[in-house]
Amino acid sequence: MNLFRSGEPRPEGGETITVTALCDLAHAWWGDRLAPDWRPHTREQNQAILDRLGLTGNFWRLS
Amino acid sequence: MDDKDLELRNLTYRRFVALGRAPEPEELGPRDEVLAGWRRLHEAHALVLDGDAIRMANPFSAVATPYRVLAGERWWYGNCAWDAFGICAALDVDGRIEYRDVAVEVRDRRPDDESLVFHCLVPAAQWWDDIVYT
Repeated sequence: MNLFRSGEPRPEGGETITVTALCDLAHAWWGDRLAPDWRPHTREQNQAILDRLGLTGNFWRLS
Repeated sequence: MDDKDLELRNLTYRRFVALGRAPEPEELGPRDEVLAGWRRLHEAHALVLDGDAIRMANPFSAVATPYRVLAGERWWYGNCAWDAFGICAALDVDGRIEYRDVAVEVRDRRPDDESLVFHCLVPAAQWWDDIVYT
């Protein structure tokens, strides 16, 4: 899970998204991590985050 | 995850952020009790152990990585690019992420260099097969 400059060679395979999308994903995924009332995300909650951000398709399926 | 383990998990994260490093078991309570709780949390993917030590309290890394993050007036290490941005998110602050010769500022939840891209090699269903590699 690495950052690259646009056009820079990347490993074959996998998926690439913009850094803006990554930032949105990070806030949705980790934003509650230090909340006093934190509870573990269910797989369904995490999948919903990916889906909401348009990260769909088999690659982004958690199971 | 029962309430006792949830309390230990939250205490571990609070101490990590307060100390700027992973806490030792003895800093949280009786060593054997804390380690037993950490092992259950590891199995639940709530943190990642390396032996008896915390390796990851995601998004924070307890060991040096190529992803350095300046956030909340302190330098941190992220486990990967996703986690590096996640540190700013978890702390709910602006920040600066450095990786190799790349530096990106996060202001008001937006990166200042939108030309960068994020590459994820491992499919989501396999992320926890080997989370350190992922």
